[in-house]
Amino acid sequence: MGSGCERDRSSSSASGLAGAVGLCSRRQFLKVGGLSVIGMSALGPLLARGAVKPLIIMEQAQGIVIGDPTKCVGCRRCELACTEFNDGKAAPTLARIKVDRNLNFGPKGVFAGQRGQGNWGNGLVVQDLCKQCPHPVPCADACPNDAIVVAPPVKARVVDPDKCTGCKMCLRACPWEMISFDQDSGKATKCNLCGGKPKCVEACPAQSLTYLPWRDLTDKVPVRTAPLAALSPEKSAACQECHKR
Amino acid sequence: MKTYGGWAGKVLRVDLSTGRSRTEETVDKYKDYLGGTGIGYKVMWDEVPAGTKPHDPGNKIIFAVGPLAGTGAPCNGRIAITTLWPTCAPKPLVATGHMGGHFAAELKYAGYDAIVIEGKADHPVWLSVADGKVEVKDGRHLWGEGIRRTTAAISQIMGPEAVVAAIGPAGENLVPMSNVMNSISHSAGGAGSVMGSKNLKAIGVRGTGSVRIGGNKDEWEKLVKYHLSLLGANNQHVVPNAPQPWAEFWSPGTRWVGSKGRAWGAAAPPIETGTCEPHNLNRIAYRTNNAAFYLGDAAWQYTVRGNGCTGCPIRCHTMVKMPAVASKYGISEMGQNTCMGLLFGWVFFKSFPAGLDGRANMETCMVGMHLADDLGIWCNYGQLQRDFQKLYYEGHIKAKLGEKEFKSYSWDKYEKGDPSFLFELLPRIAAKEGELACALGLGTGYLLERWSISEAEWGKDHDLAYWKMGHPKHHSCEEVGQCGTLINLMYNRDPQCHSHVNFIRNGLPLQVQKKLAAEIWGAPEAVDAIGAYTPMHPSKARMAKWSVLRKELHDSLSLCNWMGPWVASPLKERGYRGDDSLESMLYSVATGDKLDRQELDRVAERIFVLHRALTIRDMGTKEMRARHDLIPEWAFEDESGKAPFTKGTTRMDRKDVETAKDMFYDELGWDRATGAPTAEAYRKAGMGDVAIELDRRNLLPG
Repeated sequence: MGSGCERDRSSSSASGLAGAVGLCSRRQFLKVGGLSVIGMSALGPLLARGAVKPLIIMEQAQGIVIGDPTKCVGCRRCELACTEFNDGKAAPTLARIKVDRNLNFGPKGVFAGQRGQGNWGNGLVVQDLCKQCPHPVPCADACPNDAIVVAPPVKARVVDPDKCTGCKMCLRACPWEMISFDQDSGKATKCNLCGGKPKCVEACPAQSLTYLPWRDLTDKVPVRTAPLAALSPEKSAACQECHKR
Repeated sequence: MKTYGGWAGKVLRVDLSTGRSRTEETVDKYKDYLGGTGIGYKVMWDEVPAGTKPHDPGNKIIFAVGPLAGTGAPCNGRIAITTLWPTCAPKPLVATGHMGGHFAAELKYAGYDAIVIEGKADHPVWLSVADGKVEVKDGRHLWGEGIRRTTAAISQIMGPEAVVAAIGPAGENLVPMSNVMNSISHSAGGAGSVMGSKNLKAIGVRGTGSVRIGGNKDEWEKLVKYHLSLLGANNQHVVPNAPQPWAEFWSPGTRWVGSKGRAWGAAAPPIETGTCEPHNLNRIAYRTNNAAFYLGDAAWQYTVRGNGCTGCPIRCHTMVKMPAVASKYGISEMGQNTCMGLLFGWVFFKSFPAGLDGRANMETCMVGMHLADDLGIWCNYGQLQRDFQKLYYEGHIKAKLGEKEFKSYSWDKYEKGDPSFLFELLPRIAAKEGELACALGLGTGYLLERWSISEAEWGKDHDLAYWKMGHPKHHSCEEVGQCGTLINLMYNRDPQCHSHVNFIRNGLPLQVQKKLAAEIWGAPEAVDAIGAYTPMHPSKARMAKWSVLRKELHDSLSLCNWMGPWVASPLKERGYRGDDSLESMLYSVATGDKLDRQELDRVAERIFVLHRALTIRDMGTKEMRARHDLIPEWAFEDESGKAPFTKGTTRMDRKDVETAKDMFYDELGWDRATGAPTAEAYRKAGMGDVAIELDRRNLLPG
């Protein structure tokens, strides 16, 4: 089987992994272009028809940015540093750290009123940050073009702009709504940890952001949305193979 | 055409009479005036004829920012609002108010550098600006509501990220002493009733776009970090107010109050501010706590955190939490503001049960903010409250009010310092209910006229701090000698200029200040210690000119003149030098239009001179020296009889001040006799057309 993998990889572009993985056993990993993917034998019939792509398991990120809402002063210099120093424009809606949406009323929004958080509530400003998810990586799973890949040096999950077609499936897939969309380029973008020196952390005047070794926050931070629509039924079925009770 | 960064690119025009809106190209039409007050004055000059009244449909109100608003340039969160000022007496003239908060940035992200409101709606409306979608919406259901409810209601429609600038009942009822407010506590005083006169309750803005940096992004990153490295605390005070392990100097009067042992006590858990070592750019936000600066150490325990404007690391709007006021007065336990907004309630009272440092003054601040920031009442830099004290304690109120109305107020509560008195007074001001409320709502100039009190009487009183034309001094001779005096001559309300006072009060020892002053204004004589003034010197005139130009530059670029300029820094290794070229560097990289310091200062001078031209045109006289650039009597007197230029007095000398005017007019190339710019001065500022128009009206000197 190993030779099969080798053979197929040679004929497979990074965006055409499905065929290659279909030949691998359940426990075999294939690394192509920074992507680790695992094929599942149980999906053989589906994959053989080319109907779905395999689930994607990525190497663990090495770092993560953590926010302390009690220290956030709501200046949004993090959002500005993220976009100005990475993209050359000040664009909070493009920022990969999201403060503005929680600034006035907190994550529960305007109807929380003065019982909520933010400037209109108790003062807490929650900084929404990318979790650099372990498997499953919802944004990567949802991408029909495998455009969300692991990038060196700290193995952040990033959008490969060459592959991104701007379909916004990843925006719908992230339970924490952390994927941004660049209106000028027409492509999605997400936190890339700035190669291990996050601009947002550097920019915070209140030391409310910290860059730490990666830890799994996916089961600790409440989600903002139910990302059901983003995953194809076939992929959902595939998930259940591993995650069935 | 060259594409610039910085500017959003469009000026939005909304005619409320027709409900129609249109846009024009910012760069084509206004690049020579940058933005902010520059656009404001230009629109007023071109489009609002002399003789227009503030509440006429023909008056316009211009909300304008500049190329730095919405970027990461530190301290860019303020928007300038230009219109005919209803409290300017005896005749309303052009002036500006400035809101911090998040409105400036959001406007840019929505794609606009300015909104010009024209005409008058035939029923209450609010304006919704969501990126390119501009709608004049029915506002009848919001009319009568407070600013908070209005903001919440519009946020429910536009989304939680929307920024809402609203007026309260005071503005609706055409109370001249009213403001427009965004983001809970960020107000621009004086402009509320102009919006009210147009039936415009609020402007909601939501922007999802961006501000492009015109120059190289790495260069921008370097420049922003350089600027951050030169920041001090609020008002660019560069020396801490308590000894710190790293600090060579400390000075008890500065706003750099963060220190080891001082904590945001109402944060959960409390957060110590620490030593705030100046090279640690991740601790800048802990340097300032204006609640503690104004209200004393007691305020630390109520401090939740610092708050403030978009992009500003200096958090001068302190957020406080005082659970006691919820049960005692039925108001929110949360409050936030800075400076006069914070002190709004407190300064009405002469005394409190536990003295001026007791907890009651803090509660009074909470009640004051709760009411004023919802009703939308303006304090005129504390003149409202100082007037009120004087009017009461000198018996004017009793004399002017009918007995029934006088007795309707609980004066015993007032005298005792009971904050609940404010619940009787402030809603009536907003509602124009009764003689006292109506008079107070007019602003000092028209109040004095209504109650037949001479302005000269007001101008004699040191404590009253009244200056001229209905407005108080704002950092005048009491802090910056002749330079402060000159700046207070120039505007049609309090000048709102901090260029000079931020330097004088920065906390550095006088010898260090003098060394820096010699580099910036050509001679160490430019600065004196406060209350140890020396006679007029040309460098003081240069400092005054520099101060007003920097003010206009900041108000047009969108930098905060409450924070800048940054000509001193907390950095010992730089000899405490700041950088006088920051503005031009930021402008050049943000827009991609390279201008050096002198070139940009010439643009600032154009803007300042246009303000002078507007004042001359609308007053209908060129006799500025005699009729506009006036100084109240108190400035020339000392309560203990000390002579000018002796230690311990801020008293000015009459002859010396006339010399100061001569030197200042000379610096600007203005006519000494009239204090009016000459035709040549207009031409040098690139405004030959303005000179022609004024000449046609016989308003040019010589």
